[in-house]
Amino acid sequence: MNDLHDIRRTLASNGILMCFNGPFRHGLIEELGRAVRRHLECEAVSKPALADVFTVFIEAAQNVANYANRPCWDEPTRARVQNGILVIGRQDDRYVIRCGNLIHPEDGQALLARLDELATLDRAALKARFKAQVHAAPTGDGAGLGLIRMARTASGPLAYAVVPFDGDLHFFSLTVTL
Amino acid sequence: MSRTDLDDLTLEATASSPAVEARAAQGLLRIRGEAYPENAFAFFSPVLAWTEAFLAKGPAPLRVELELTYLNTSSIKSMMDLMDLLQEAFDGGRDVGLAWFYDPENDRALDLAEEFREDLTLPFDIVPRAAEGLP
Repeated sequence: MNDLHDIRRTLASNGILMCFNGPFRHGLIEELGRAVRRHLECEAVSKPALADVFTVFIEAAQNVANYANRPCWDEPTRARVQNGILVIGRQDDRYVIRCGNLIHPEDGQALLARLDELATLDRAALKARFKAQVHAAPTGDGAGLGLIRMARTASGPLAYAVVPFDGDLHFFSLTVTL
Repeated sequence: MSRTDLDDLTLEATASSPAVEARAAQGLLRIRGEAYPENAFAFFSPVLAWTEAFLAKGPAPLRVELELTYLNTSSIKSMMDLMDLLQEAFDGGRDVGLAWFYDPENDRALDLAEEFREDLTLPFDIVPRAAEGLP
């Protein structure tokens, strides 16, 4: 394992302001959300910019938590997919939120297809898609809406990848630049 | 059963869920705070049920006041369901109105309110009000 100082230096050299690596549970997301807000308020970030960071933070973190809450997992796998990483950084004067978690390979392929399709939509089409899906989604199911909202909040295209992790699971990562 | 038999609904705010006050005698539903609960459907179900029951019980007007600093997508879905109920009542001739309060320093909050309003015809006021005392 790297020296902690090396890890810290790696974070700093990547412009990372905040980093969380561990199980995404609701209570923790609340706590982290509060910390994110407080940090940005201390930085005297404008309210719309703060709202954008918070929006992407919550959608990304809740996506991981909701994915882990699916009934299909056995407990050891649930524990693995619940472990995510989320970082908030600054790059070229923009906030960047990156998150990653382990997913089933089939879900990874479906997610890539969905993100590839969203990438073809302009802002007006993303808005129309968001509204249509808010109406169409069965009550209690917000699946897919979070991705569209993140795409709408971002200043440019979402960057994403799915790479093999081990025999059972792949690693999904998403980068949202505001 | 008369309209006054409908129980009021009171939910305290938490870090991720808003305070709810539903007052049958006043015809008032007020939702105020943050909205990113773990399960938005479960959280808002009693609010939607109360609204449906109120609208079903008699002709009294209903005023809904929303002051939501943040909504996750699942909460947006639940608010849309609430507004669909109100719009349906309005289309049936009911006196229903909605006021959406937002922080004037946060134009993202204004955008969201306007997006809700553009699909509706019921009276829908968007009112700037500086957020204070929210969790």
